[in-house]
Amino acid sequence: MTLLRSMFRRKATTFALVLLILLLLIAAVSPWVVPYPAGALELSHRLLSPRSVHPFGTDHFGRDILSRTLIGSRITFLLGISISLFALFFGVPIGIVSGYYDRVGLVVMRLIDALMAFPAIILALAFMAIFGRPGILNVIIALGLVWTPQMIRVVYSSTLSIREAGYIEAARAIGTGPVQILLHHVAPNLLSPVIVQATFSFALSILGAAALDFLGVGIPPTIPSWGTMMNEGRMYVVRAPWIILFPGIFLALTVLSFNLLGDALRDRLDPRLRRLL
Amino acid sequence: MGPYLLRRGAGMLVSCVLVITITFLLMELIPGDPAAVLLGPDATPEQVDALRASWGLDRPGIVRYGFYIRNILRGELGRSVFLDQPVLKMIGERAETSLLLGLLSLLVVVGLGVSAGITAALRPRTWTDSALLFVALLGASLPSFWLGLMLMIAFAGRLHWFPSSGFSSIFGAGGLANLRNLVLPALSLGFVNAALVARTSRSSMLDVLQAEYVTTARAKGLAENVVIAKHALRNAAIPILTVVSFTFASLVSGAVVTENVFALPGVGSLIVQSVLKRDYPTIQGVMLAVAIFYVLVNFATDMLYAFLDPRIRYR
Repeated sequence: MTLLRSMFRRKATTFALVLLILLLLIAAVSPWVVPYPAGALELSHRLLSPRSVHPFGTDHFGRDILSRTLIGSRITFLLGISISLFALFFGVPIGIVSGYYDRVGLVVMRLIDALMAFPAIILALAFMAIFGRPGILNVIIALGLVWTPQMIRVVYSSTLSIREAGYIEAARAIGTGPVQILLHHVAPNLLSPVIVQATFSFALSILGAAALDFLGVGIPPTIPSWGTMMNEGRMYVVRAPWIILFPGIFLALTVLSFNLLGDALRDRLDPRLRRLL
Repeated sequence: MGPYLLRRGAGMLVSCVLVITITFLLMELIPGDPAAVLLGPDATPEQVDALRASWGLDRPGIVRYGFYIRNILRGELGRSVFLDQPVLKMIGERAETSLLLGLLSLLVVVGLGVSAGITAALRPRTWTDSALLFVALLGASLPSFWLGLMLMIAFAGRLHWFPSSGFSSIFGAGGLANLRNLVLPALSLGFVNAALVARTSRSSMLDVLQAEYVTTARAKGLAENVVIAKHALRNAAIPILTVVSFTFASLVSGAVVTENVFALPGVGSLIVQSVLKRDYPTIQGVMLAVAIFYVLVNFATDMLYAFLDPRIRYR
């Protein structure tokens, strides 16, 4: 609670938290409050500019952009949360073990370095090509695999410094086993760096998922998502820029709120950085 | 310098071998028979077998891995299934676009990032500082393809200042004027990547400004701009340089979406086309080339770093 209260003291963080709560609220209630169903076609209303009945305009099928944008937030949050959880689930245990045991660390880190030589989007594209078809689960696995190495790295380097602490030595001296040490003494101290990294991987995940959708290899186009909407709107970029404008603004605001939040958390949880920021 | 170079060189070779192994293993993961997938349901078993044999798929994995490494050493990255051309040749033809786009974006990144970072560091915890940091973070939060499309609408669609898409070689007709086609892509790619450089420049400059030699320089009565340019900036440059070269590698190879938006014939658009057509040999070849490029740029950065800062060599 003190953490939350102190974070609200900074204007940028307050802005991020309010924005995030609003976006989450939209994602939660959108199917029941939007003016039109996301897939409702109205061919006589094709490519209408923003007006009172369609505040964000319509696309080439006459679908309401406002409704589709609001509903698109659902898949964005679903993907962001699932991909971050994937990275946490695999990244944290691998990172702890590599940080605690030098020999494991040596091998794993070499492999991680090599994996990180592949740009994220290219690696994600390759995984999507391997899986062979668009799909929500495939996107989660592809981007999860892409962001797990970063999580491993963060956990690894934090574990390296934690294991040198006096209390770890003390635990070892009284005969505590390695599993106990990792679970009860190392893991709790990893909480701050892991939370910060998870916040940033959320931001990167939804940007990555939108990029895959935009390229036409992400989730199936039948599910309204911001990336797919922007992909479909490309053909009409000059005639009907609103098709692209609004989903992009929502995507940018979501990513921005997570980046601001990640920054604020890092400043709060890592006192060494407070001097610089 | 010698021992350091040898040690880092060996590390680079290990990275290359690992990168090659990863690209090999990734393509082994493809479920089902790629030959059957490619030929479609109408193919006869004989046709599938013939294609499998021509790809060496009828051999055990370890033999194929050996062949794969041998081919790479010979400079063969396989053959595109759809365009029926050597993958390396296709990458070569597209490298110019990607490299030029990377260089131009880097200009944007350095111009915006370093100047914003230094400006912020000179006025820490002021309104200017927070505003610049916020803009940097906003930039990092924008999807580059969205920014690209917005720039396209404004500067190509409405104002007609720049072409909206395509690019042809600066060595052909049009010459250097063809670079106009890369202005909007470079701006959108550069702006979203400038944030990291801005933050590094700021914190590195802040660190240096608190150093004792800066206080000494000021105490000697040197003009403030001399203190900043000669004493502070030089020492702050090394971490900035690292981030900049790291950014360059990701600009050249990670411009996938931007190249797609502006229909640029680069390496990034090649991999997107290959993924859409499931042209696995091309995907594999491009991935390998891009990752090796990244490893080489990293190696070059380390060497530059060691050259600029003698302390590194003795670690």
